Amino acid sequence: MSLWRRLSRVATFVTLSVVAVVMLYPFYFMAATSFRSYDQWLAGSGFSLDSWLALFQAIPVVQQLVNSTIVTGAAVLIILFVSTTAGFAFAKLPYPGSPGVFLAIIAGMMIPIQSIIIPEYVNVSHAGLINQYPGAILVYAALGAPLGTYLMTTYFRGVPSELVEASLMDGASYWQIFLRVMLPLAIPAIVTVAVLQFIAVWDDLLIGLLFLQTPDVRTITVGLATLQSARIIPVPVLMAGSLVSALPAVIVYLLFQRQLIAGLTMGMGK
Amino acid sequence: MAESRAADRKAARRTGRLKQAERRAGILFSLPAVILYLALLALPIIQTFYYSFTSWDGITATSVGLGNYQRLFTDSTFWRVVFNNAALLASIPFAILIPLLVAFLLNEHVPGWRFFRSVYFLPTAISWVVIGMVAVRFFAERGILNTLLAGIGFGAVRTDLLSQEYGALLAVILTFIWSVFGTNTIIFITGMATLDRDVYEAARVDGAGTWAMFRYVTIPLLMRFIQFAFVLTLITGFTALFSLIFIMTSGGPGYATTTLEFFVYQTAFSNGVFGYAAAIGMVLFVIVFAISVVQIRVLQGHGE
Repeated sequence: MSLWRRLSRVATFVTLSVVAVVMLYPFYFMAATSFRSYDQWLAGSGFSLDSWLALFQAIPVVQQLVNSTIVTGAAVLIILFVSTTAGFAFAKLPYPGSPGVFLAIIAGMMIPIQSIIIPEYVNVSHAGLINQYPGAILVYAALGAPLGTYLMTTYFRGVPSELVEASLMDGASYWQIFLRVMLPLAIPAIVTVAVLQFIAVWDDLLIGLLFLQTPDVRTITVGLATLQSARIIPVPVLMAGSLVSALPAVIVYLLFQRQLIAGLTMGMGK
Repeated sequence: MAESRAADRKAARRTGRLKQAERRAGILFSLPAVILYLALLALPIIQTFYYSFTSWDGITATSVGLGNYQRLFTDSTFWRVVFNNAALLASIPFAILIPLLVAFLLNEHVPGWRFFRSVYFLPTAISWVVIGMVAVRFFAERGILNTLLAGIGFGAVRTDLLSQEYGALLAVILTFIWSVFGTNTIIFITGMATLDRDVYEAARVDGAGTWAMFRYVTIPLLMRFIQFAFVLTLITGFTALFSLIFIMTSGGPGYATTTLEFFVYQTAFSNGVFGYAAAIGMVLFVIVFAISVVQIRVLQGHGE
């Protein structure tokens, strides 16, 4: 390797390291700040758990983490159910008009949430589901279903139809084929959809803000946002809250990075 | 002869029955998705369209014809908001070019490149709320940016971006570019992995420098990925920044950082003017829908 190429590789490495610092700095800032009291933070040194204790007094952290888990878990399960069943139907069980139905559902991805949020809010409140988990869960499920259906349909199209036909010959029902043949084959795609939607729902603010308004039903992301708008909460406490709310999604990211990237590139229709 | 015809008919009837069973199963299996879609996506977008022609407070609605849309054109706040969206649009080339350059460097596969890739993609997992929280501290008067500036001898330019009209918009845009960096880098890295390394070797043999290779080999071959990233970034900028703006500036100062999506929320849920907000929501919907349709056309044109 020539000296010139070696130098250019060193320069590349240094540039990439600088970018890495820029991307990681916020995490360091959150962690470092949260372990200081307000005075220590202003002084720029010291270690204290005061801010963490203050966070747990300011909002019901554990309750809101549980709320996030319930809402995110239920929404992801509904999305998985509707997108795997619909994906199987659109890929393997065509009926008159099914391509049109498929297109209409996919077009749902192009509807910005703000364009439907007002009637959605009014409808859900007429149904008496404001401040109830099911209201927010159903809205999240509907928002995630089009992308899930698209990814599952694409995946099932790649499964040979002979598998379905052979199972039919053996006398299996469509439901049995779905459960015993299709679902086990689709596990990689199911994981991708689950991870994408978990992060999307866990991180959302708008739906939670409108549909889960009281502190005891709020998700942690919403709890954190409302903490900030109170304006009197010291920065280290906000950083402790940020860290708590970010951690579960970061863990999911670290465990399922590959599936997340797969989902992103599957979105290109390739 | 007659026997075989009877057998044919029997077989035809059997495949007919099978076809019928298959269709019935298809309808049943797609039903849950269809119901969810109709009740919570299709119905509300139709309602938004309907109510955009009314004066509506959430309970009673009275028709105002095109009134809301006419009002939009004379509403100076609306045009300020459109300007903010245009500024976001104008920032997208930076949100594309920086990741493209970094992906090009990553593609050199220097030691640790996989680690760098993971680090760059990490903010994808973080909520806009958390990103906004840190961004506020970064741009604040006693924040990280000013500390950095002072550190390199620019203490005199000490700024409080978030309290200035265009400064706040710049701060939101910079945070936006930071946030989409990882996703776009991953898209380009994936794209570069599909390119044949021989192309680069051939270019190198022909005496092409690094910049020439980036400009004349990488960019043209990645056009499909660049278009995809562009549209994805644009849709993110127009429909996913609500939480970031909510945390960083609440749309202010004044309307300096209010985008269309934030304007819908403010008009409806802060001011209670649902009909007018519905009209703004329709404008946003038409813009996003048009962009998406163009994207599909473009991607299909390049696929095959």
